Amino acid sequence: MRRNELRSLNLPIADELGKRAGTRPRVRPLDCAPYAVAGIVPKLVFSPRTLREASKTITTIAAEGASITIRGAGTKHLRPPHPYDVDVVLDSTRCSGVLEHTPADLTVTVAAGTRFAALQEALRASGQFFPSDPPFAADTTIGGMLSSRVAGALRQRYGAPRGNVLGMRVCLSDGSIAFTGARVVKSVAGYDIAKLFVGAWGTLGFIGHVTLKVAPIPREQLGIVASFARCETACDAALRLASSPLFPLATTLHDRASAHRIRALSGTEPGAHWTLIVRCGGTRAGAMRQADGVANVVKSSGSSNVDLLDADRLHFAWQDIEELAGGAMYPGSQYMCCTVASLPSQVSAVLSSLSVLFPDANCTSHPATGIVYAHLPVAGMDQSSSRTLASQLQPLLDLCERERYYLSYHAAPVGSDLRAPVSADAPILLMRRVKASLDPSGTFDPGRFMAGI
Amino acid sequence: MFASLLGRLRSVVGASHVSTAPGDMSNYQYDGSADRALPQIVVLPASASEIAGVVAACNDARCPYVARGAGTGLSGGAIPEQGGVVISTARLNRILEIDVVNRLAVVEPGVVNAHISEAVKDQGLHFVPDPSSQAACTIGGNVAENAGGLHCLAYGVTAHHVLGCEVVTPQADIVWLGGKTQDAPGYDLLGVFIGSEGTLGIATKVVVKLTPLQQDRRTMLAAFPTVEQASQSVSDIIAAGILPAALEMMDQLTTQAVEEFVHAGFPTEAGAVLIVELEGLSGTLDEVAADVGDICLRNGGDIRRARDEDERHRIWLGRKSAFGAMGRLGSNYYVQDGVIPRTRLPEVVTEVVEIGRRYGLKIANVFHAGDGNLHPLIVFDDRIPGDYERVVAAGADILRACVRHGGSISGEHGIGMEKRDCMSLQYSRADLALMTRLKNVFNPGGLCNPAKIFPTSRRCGESARTHASGVLPPEVATATGPAF
Repeated sequence: MRRNELRSLNLPIADELGKRAGTRPRVRPLDCAPYAVAGIVPKLVFSPRTLREASKTITTIAAEGASITIRGAGTKHLRPPHPYDVDVVLDSTRCSGVLEHTPADLTVTVAAGTRFAALQEALRASGQFFPSDPPFAADTTIGGMLSSRVAGALRQRYGAPRGNVLGMRVCLSDGSIAFTGARVVKSVAGYDIAKLFVGAWGTLGFIGHVTLKVAPIPREQLGIVASFARCETACDAALRLASSPLFPLATTLHDRASAHRIRALSGTEPGAHWTLIVRCGGTRAGAMRQADGVANVVKSSGSSNVDLLDADRLHFAWQDIEELAGGAMYPGSQYMCCTVASLPSQVSAVLSSLSVLFPDANCTSHPATGIVYAHLPVAGMDQSSSRTLASQLQPLLDLCERERYYLSYHAAPVGSDLRAPVSADAPILLMRRVKASLDPSGTFDPGRFMAGI
Repeated sequence: MFASLLGRLRSVVGASHVSTAPGDMSNYQYDGSADRALPQIVVLPASASEIAGVVAACNDARCPYVARGAGTGLSGGAIPEQGGVVISTARLNRILEIDVVNRLAVVEPGVVNAHISEAVKDQGLHFVPDPSSQAACTIGGNVAENAGGLHCLAYGVTAHHVLGCEVVTPQADIVWLGGKTQDAPGYDLLGVFIGSEGTLGIATKVVVKLTPLQQDRRTMLAAFPTVEQASQSVSDIIAAGILPAALEMMDQLTTQAVEEFVHAGFPTEAGAVLIVELEGLSGTLDEVAADVGDICLRNGGDIRRARDEDERHRIWLGRKSAFGAMGRLGSNYYVQDGVIPRTRLPEVVTEVVEIGRRYGLKIANVFHAGDGNLHPLIVFDDRIPGDYERVVAAGADILRACVRHGGSISGEHGIGMEKRDCMSLQYSRADLALMTRLKNVFNPGGLCNPAKIFPTSRRCGESARTHASGVLPPEVATATGPAF
């Protein structure tokens, strides 16, 4: 949809918009620059303090026929497709704070602009946590984490964050505020529309509040680090672990370059081609038994070296491990970050194909869930290198189409002109209708989801 | 029009798989709830393309249709309230693929829930959702209702264990939502499809996750003088960071009825009984079991551990017989399904008792206490005029209490016909408008399972029973629900 653009943004107009929205926008380019999306500075930045204020802002902007890009901490603004123009950025970070937490109910309600790290800090006092380990953990907001559907390796034991979203209060482009789901751990009353907002990249509406299911922090946690000469054997070990009754919390696999970035591993076996890290947790006895069982499996699978990480070292290691998924450790100006999702049994083949196509790639995988994160070094972008990047990626697109892997891009350097990959069997027609129904004015980031949606 | 639709349906699925016989129609008029309505035609397709053909024929004839699995639902989700065509999934009952390495199975919607776990148990795997009716209910119905079960506290409900569905949309297209691989790009249409009660399309293949079986388990039975003490123990167990595989509670009225019925060994003098089941690696459960024991003792409970598999079996048989045992207390029962924050259990139970007193009804209480999911069982006699209406009104008051305490009007049975008029207790007009928008994305013609979920002109608590006589036939009246 071709939209009107906010063209003449003199101060009086911005003031008028601000008055109607109930919150004063940033208007000067210098003030708006920190909110740039893939290098494009927005014309206005609104930072509402409440959902009601957000609703007024959205109604006001939509009435002008302008588009809105919702932004949390801005950690993923380099996601392709990059915008050609940005009218208004709706900054969610002032809508923040834990609204309700009853530990014995295992639920917490937060404003979506709350930082993930702040939520974890608040929950820790009760011995609980939101069971996910997304990249950009220090900065990302709850809304950003859910909108981008990033999931860390803890998904192996706790499921992806989508499964722990119980309810949501959202604002649509007509300004209506609606609640979907429930505030209790179990409900089947009506459609679970919160699921649509998870992974929608802010293209359906603004997430105001979220109710999440939290989990007790395991009493004990231990890590097993196993070195492997061959990717296939490491993946086999991961599959054996995932099918065993050991129920580890998470399993990650790293090539030499990405393992090198995990500071806590320095000195374990830096020369290993492949490093498998298994996070164990539970009761004290349970974690020990789990770690013993994991060690036995990796040894019998042919690991050349097995180390145990105590809770402190595991915690230190995980600070880096979680950042290796999704580009947090790789500057967006130098790397193209993408995810290839396959069946767990195909991870080894995915990694092998990636090493052939991109010998300089840094790869991290969550082999139990079939996810590979590839970071491809690229040069700074100009028009010709943008074309080169697209042609470099074509074999990867072809591979994913042929093998039915799901490919998605997390970040590409400013100036690249990539579209979001679309798998052949995606129900695009239904997705278009979802967008048209929930955001009929096409206000929220039109054209930036996938297939022109 | 009817004749032409019938002819077309016969050509799609074969004449022997289409019925209009009155006897057949009456078999398809009800599910496990009290409502019922007759279809005009029942079809039994054998493939997704046949279902698409049936849906296309119904669309052309402007005829409503509803998919039906085993008919064990408890909210009228599979009842053809507006008549029309019932699409039975009974012939779509094959397990198509078991992939042990990737821990998944591809099954048709008519596969019985328990058959999946049965098929993979030798590989050390199982399908986790275990609704009470798992010996009869089908995966298609589980997906439609987002079924739960006794073990969802630790492992989640159906939505957590389904990776993808092949779906015939109300436009008669065959599409995949999700798939075998996680993270399908695009909007999470699978997420909204699961639990949509058959109003957004018909699942024709389901990719389910398989989970390794735990090595060991510990089942304990704790008896408390009062429901409050048992509830406090539940809160304390969760607050201590313990997440049992199951945490079930029954009040005294229930345990007394169960004891008379199956002799499970429940202490009938106790005000409430708590079943706690822990799972984990062998040799690692003592620490947590000791903590659970301490918590129960501190709250005035008396705890004992099932010494062997036989005792464990009897404890669970007792729990699973709770619904059936209501026959000891009256000729009929009505099971309610509400959710509250579990910390509000004592207050809400007091309110439920008061509601029973107000309406002059006997109410037994069974809870998935770990989830805060209440199943008050209201005992009544349907032969007494007005009794059923009082039951429905009392049930609505219980739901009002649940919502007032921040809960939900359904934890696992769904809205269907039974609770559609109570939706506005939990949701505002704007909330329901958002749901309507979504419904219109998938089902703009409204022919796919019409008149479900969304409120009608009746008020919550007004009897919505749709059959003409107001009296249930004996076979329904004696067992308005599955075995437990």
